[in-house]
Amino acid sequence: MSYHRLSDELEYRGISRRDFLGFCASMAAVLGLPEGAGRAIAAAVENEPKPILIWLEFQDCAGNTESFLRASHPTVADLILDSISLNYHETLMAAAGSQAEDALAQTVRDNAGKYIALVEGSVPTGANGAYCTIGGRSALHIAREVCGAAAATIAVGTCAAFGGIPAARPNPTGALSVGDAVPDVKNLINMSACPANAENITALIVYYMTLKRWPPLDQYRRPLFAYGKAIHDNCERRAHFDAGQYVEAWGDEAHRHGHCLYKMGCKGPATSQNCPVVRWNEGTNWPIGCGHPCIGCAEPNFWDTMTPFYRRLPDVAGFSVGEWVDPVGLGLAGVTTAAVVAHGVGMAVRRRVGEGASKEDESEVE
Amino acid sequence: MANKRSTNGGIERIYVWQLPVRLTHWLIFFSIIVLSATGYYIGHPFISVSGPARDHFVMGTARAVHLYAAIVFTLSAAVRIYWMFAGNAYARLTQLVPLAGERLGNLWQTALFYSFIRRHPEAYPGHNALAGAFYALVFVIYLAMVATGLALYTVVAAAGSPFRAFDFLVPLFYGLQMARLIHHIGMWFLLIFAVAHVYFVLLSSITERIGTVDSMFSGYKFLPRRRAGAR
Repeated sequence: MSYHRLSDELEYRGISRRDFLGFCASMAAVLGLPEGAGRAIAAAVENEPKPILIWLEFQDCAGNTESFLRASHPTVADLILDSISLNYHETLMAAAGSQAEDALAQTVRDNAGKYIALVEGSVPTGANGAYCTIGGRSALHIAREVCGAAAATIAVGTCAAFGGIPAARPNPTGALSVGDAVPDVKNLINMSACPANAENITALIVYYMTLKRWPPLDQYRRPLFAYGKAIHDNCERRAHFDAGQYVEAWGDEAHRHGHCLYKMGCKGPATSQNCPVVRWNEGTNWPIGCGHPCIGCAEPNFWDTMTPFYRRLPDVAGFSVGEWVDPVGLGLAGVTTAAVVAHGVGMAVRRRVGEGASKEDESEVE
Repeated sequence: MANKRSTNGGIERIYVWQLPVRLTHWLIFFSIIVLSATGYYIGHPFISVSGPARDHFVMGTARAVHLYAAIVFTLSAAVRIYWMFAGNAYARLTQLVPLAGERLGNLWQTALFYSFIRRHPEAYPGHNALAGAFYALVFVIYLAMVATGLALYTVVAAAGSPFRAFDFLVPLFYGLQMARLIHHIGMWFLLIFAVAHVYFVLLSSITERIGTVDSMFSGYKFLPRRRAGAR
């Protein structure tokens, strides 16, 4: 329940002023704010009480937690988000069993309407919620209790934001996104992607600390600073797309030259995120940068509509519609042409045969 | 309408296709040809170029032409749909959707003629009812093509572009990839329709001898007076 300020801890943690200001400037860059914004962020982050955070894990692989632990500025970001591990985080917390569950219950009780819930994983509703229970309570029950009383809920990763892989067809567990599972959730923000980019989550919380409000969202409740542009539009290989230079096979010459992965099924044109700019693992690289097409993991229904990953068009209900639509269309156009030619021949033959009977035809028309 | 009809012996000259009908018809025709050619390339980029990327703009050109042709197509289709409510009797929605008994009868007789059962077509100045019904379906496909095209465009529209307002279409199609798939299927429907359409127009032109092909340029058809008056 730390309402303490960050400035008290910087020196104690051995973080230099220079490192701290560098962090604030990089956050301003992620948020797309102008140069001076770094100072405002520094002032807010230093002096404002840290938000109380609760991190819930439901039907997930802990991939977002893994990604988050490797945030590119772990020292400062850890500090800002320290309250996660202090209060509740299944993967990170030291406490276990009823001790841990009591900590969660107490945090919710003492800070109702003030804390921020971060949820990782989808919420299964099948079999009365039996597919995911923690401390004897279903994920649905916990989500409604914790997110229902939160000042804001951040759905971290595609499973929490849109149901993700657990909700993919045929969705055996009846998995829902947090927004669908908790209809009365307040200030829901979806940080989709598999996993969500830690830079973006940190930037979101810094934005809230600095401006005391949540950033503008798109129609899927994703912040525009991170999901406002198509990957395709910021892609470093875009010049090869526009030129007409495509990888045709893994390891071919075009692939070795870093040409566009469009024909290998890249979903960059259908996906909105700032991967090309922020990148991953301390800005080291990102999927397209190392030669793999985007799989569209930040979009709703991505497992159902972005697969097969290495083809341009999707399958429908398990059938390879996307693969066959153009050959079948071309074939049907050919069959139609043959059919009308045959019909025309039939009509012509009939006219010739019918010439002798033209008198009776005329009377039929009259 | 008196001045729109003139008679010469037993033949009556009827003004059937008004200028907006003819103009939108040919604009839609040319834009579909351009959209299909560029669209097929966008879906299957079969031209590969070598050398520095800055020396080429093949896909960029295809996309630009596709987008401009899409503007022509969308506006033409919109004008034609407006004309279904504002145009003359032959341009109206009732000519496309066969609900009246007379139109249903004509639809059946046309089907009999196409099936070699009826020997002669039932001549009618406007669309025959079977053709009209297919045109109604084609306009539904037009709307689907415009909607899926707009949905696909929202994601690449510049920040602040008014076209971003169409992003509500994306979830209606279950995401951009499904919109893309529908866009492909729609193209093949329209190309298959075009093949059949050209054939049946030629068939009508030859069997009815009322100037069906010429009418899409001049607007006039020529019918024996008794048949023209029959409607």
